Amino acid sequence: MGAGKSEILQGTLDLMVLKTLEAMGPLHGYGIARRIEQISEEALQINQGTIYASLARAMQKGWIAGTWGTSDNNRKAKFYSITKTGRKQLHTEAQNWERISTVIGRVLAVAARG
Amino acid sequence: MFAEMKALASRIRTWLSPLHADQDFEHELEAHLELLTEENLLRGMTAEEAQRAARLRLGGLTQLKETNRELQGLPLLETILQDARYSLRMLRKNPGFTAVAVLTLALGIGANTAIFSVVYAVLLKPLPYAKSEQLFNVFEAQPQAGVTGTGWSYANFAEFREQNRVFSEMAGSQFHQLTLTGRGEPRVVNTSVVTPELFSLFEEQPVAGRVFTSQDGKPGAPPVVILSETLWRDSFEADPNVIGSSIDLDKRPFTVIGIMPAAFRFPQLAESEQVWIPLVQDPLFGSWMPRRGGHWLRVIGRLKPRVSMELAQTELDAIGARLAKEFPAENDGWAVRTVPLHAMIVGKVKDALLVLLGAVGLVLMIACANIANLLLTRATSRAREIAVRTALGAGRTRIVRQLLSETAVLGLFGGLVGIALAYWGVQFLSALLPASVPRVNAIRVDTLVMGFALLLSAGASCAFGLAPALFAANSNLQVSLREGGGRSGESRNRRRTRSFLAAGEIALATMLLVAAGLLLRSFAKLTSVSPGFNAQHIVMADVSLPQFQYSTPQQWAAFSDELLAGIQAQPGLENTAVAVPRPIADGQVNLGFDIVGSPTSSASASRTANYVTVSPDYFHVMGISLLAGRFFNHHDVMSAPRVSVISETMARLYFPNQNPLGKRLEFGFPPDGWSAREIVGIVGDVRDVALGQEPGPMMYVPYAQAPFWSANVVVKSTLSASSVAAAIRQEVRKMDKDLPVTDVAMLPDTIEASLAQPRFRTLLLGLFAAMALALAAIGIFGVISYSVSCRTNEIGIRVALGAQRADVLKQVLAEGASLALIGLLGGFVGSLAATQLIATLLFGVKPADPLTFAAVAAILATVTLTACYIPARRATRVDPMVALRYE
Repeated sequence: MGAGKSEILQGTLDLMVLKTLEAMGPLHGYGIARRIEQISEEALQINQGTIYASLARAMQKGWIAGTWGTSDNNRKAKFYSITKTGRKQLHTEAQNWERISTVIGRVLAVAARG
Repeated sequence: MFAEMKALASRIRTWLSPLHADQDFEHELEAHLELLTEENLLRGMTAEEAQRAARLRLGGLTQLKETNRELQGLPLLETILQDARYSLRMLRKNPGFTAVAVLTLALGIGANTAIFSVVYAVLLKPLPYAKSEQLFNVFEAQPQAGVTGTGWSYANFAEFREQNRVFSEMAGSQFHQLTLTGRGEPRVVNTSVVTPELFSLFEEQPVAGRVFTSQDGKPGAPPVVILSETLWRDSFEADPNVIGSSIDLDKRPFTVIGIMPAAFRFPQLAESEQVWIPLVQDPLFGSWMPRRGGHWLRVIGRLKPRVSMELAQTELDAIGARLAKEFPAENDGWAVRTVPLHAMIVGKVKDALLVLLGAVGLVLMIACANIANLLLTRATSRAREIAVRTALGAGRTRIVRQLLSETAVLGLFGGLVGIALAYWGVQFLSALLPASVPRVNAIRVDTLVMGFALLLSAGASCAFGLAPALFAANSNLQVSLREGGGRSGESRNRRRTRSFLAAGEIALATMLLVAAGLLLRSFAKLTSVSPGFNAQHIVMADVSLPQFQYSTPQQWAAFSDELLAGIQAQPGLENTAVAVPRPIADGQVNLGFDIVGSPTSSASASRTANYVTVSPDYFHVMGISLLAGRFFNHHDVMSAPRVSVISETMARLYFPNQNPLGKRLEFGFPPDGWSAREIVGIVGDVRDVALGQEPGPMMYVPYAQAPFWSANVVVKSTLSASSVAAAIRQEVRKMDKDLPVTDVAMLPDTIEASLAQPRFRTLLLGLFAAMALALAAIGIFGVISYSVSCRTNEIGIRVALGAQRADVLKQVLAEGASLALIGLLGGFVGSLAATQLIATLLFGVKPADPLTFAAVAAILATVTLTACYIPARRATRVDPMVALRYE
């Protein structure tokens, strides 16, 4: 990865996918990838293919559902939407994430002062 | 958890229709690419640039699809199947190796499975009674006198049954043979003489009618009988109207009240009972019921739930102490002992079976070591293949998994062939098993036994597969590739492992050979021991007298006199006598006695001897030697003074430094009461219990003075057994046409049958030792052959430098000999510990018998050196020129 762009952890990507689907409603793979790039103001540029591993995992766990539909350009595309268990999962994971980032933030702050 | 299960379900779905899922994903990716391309076109790229950039953004298509497939399918299962396919291919490519490995393993597993099926049926399977773990045999015992367990007097049993709070029920039984008449040929039926509670104790229901009630057990109650289903079908044509009808037992009418299912058997598990009658109705035992001090009733109890054996023992001890105070003459010094019914039934065969199970276990270990060695050899020659696979990116775990799956497939085949062998082995064993082993009819290869076999083969695969697999995966990639799969590059570690395995095999084989040798020596001693009588040409037959027809001792004596006279009058049957009980063939009657004029001390309680009542010619017929005094003669009748003859051991034990002749003993067996009998003779010792048991003190009385309700005939004749039997039958029929003659047998056959258990275990252990020896020989042969072929080069150089063939031969043999020596020493150390376990099975041989150890050493030395000689000879034929050019 180039400078200014960050690597993302697998779990993190899963979380972002879930959040995106919760916020935006049903989207296809391309849409999700674009949306994540936009939100991160292009700071995160992902190899868009990796989104599919995330989607497959989430599908298997029943967090999202997939249906075939028609895209903006009238092409056949698979649309994903978040399920009820997915929302629950997102909620727990988001809380987790916040707790960890607070802790890390604190640790970093202490380290910087020390 | 739920999410994981859902994920697995989805994976399985995808795995079942992989093509469909793949196509879907391809469509999805195509759509994605198009959207990206469109976006790029909007940014002003050329069509070609847009497509290229889109591909870059998305990532490698093949890689994505691969990842997706892995995520969505069942990669583990796929690799396992792939491994299994590959393993099958590898095994097919090496049919020789596969056949040897599978057969070796199958032998080991088959033998183990067969023995396990016996152990399971005889030792492990619960008894066929409801909640059988609560069932206990209860004995009266006299610890000071060395009586560890004997029957009860009915009076004592009744008090214990009444007073104890630890058994939910107690019941007594005895066994008797009664004559059933009035239905065709008179026949002897096995009769269980029981207290009425027996059926409720076992919680068994009749197929028809009812079981005994406590009323049926009271004196004066009308005689009733319960038939077994088997007898009901065989002799009563399954007639439902038999209930309520009357049958004759010993010429006395009994009303049939019920029929018990054929599956219910007690007390003899091997033999089906034919009728049950209440104790009080039995002509013999019934009359004994009021007498305290006799010990004849077998008692069984069902422990209440949640009552421990210890608690039960405490309670029984307390009751015993109370009774001893109340009836000191009969009960002083007596205690009560409980033994689980299961232990009672399997007790005698348990040791031998466990030893055999251990022995086959060792055989399997040797088989595993052999296969491990084969695999190590093969792994070395496959080093290049594995190196190539590693170079192409196969991980260490992947390689180990592949090699392990090869051994697993091998193990599975070995297990399957083993199960087939076990089927055959079980038939072989069932035919070989002595009749005295309980529950033999339950032995079979069922699903549980098969499960055991498969588990065993899985365990064995791990045992022989792990080391070779780890070695193979650890091999140095560069070395292996450079050497081009040559054979000289075997690592020291690996060579050491192979030698260790071979020496270990020899050690295990040594242990088995020592054990087999000891049993063989014991058996030889057992068969050559002198029983104190001459069994040759002795035919025995039983005539049992119905007590209602022949009720007085005078009648019994008269019957036996007339019978003997009749038989002896026939040519060739002059040597005929009557004896109860006869050695080996019958049980023993152990009686306490006093010596008249000797002070009664506490030691007098422990004076017991085996009691036999015999007609005058018995000693002569059996060839028992007279040491002093005289045998019985025809003047020793009821009206004459009472006399007795004692055995050598009895004279030595109870009359040290005295002449027993003329001394008088006091003892008695019903109906002949307690009376003084002068000792008129001393005869040689007889092994009456078993050939393997030292003769104990014995006392004989004349049959005319102590007759019995059964005449057990002993005939010494050169005529055939069947003509002797026919002559006896004819004579008996002349006297009473309703009397059956039963249990006709040759004494040598009876003795032979009494040796069935030692013969069985000796034969099997010998067989296992032979298998072990053969496997170990193959093992050391393999190791030495391989070592020779690895060192072809080295040997060539030595020969070129002037080494003689004899030197080469010596060197190779020395390598084999050192392995054998290490194995032998290890095996001896193991044997010294292990043979303690079979000490109880030995007769006349010490566990550390030097002769056996020496013989085993000689056999092993011969076999291993022969096994090494073949490769050693090959080594001497190495042509230095060829060897040096090699590679």
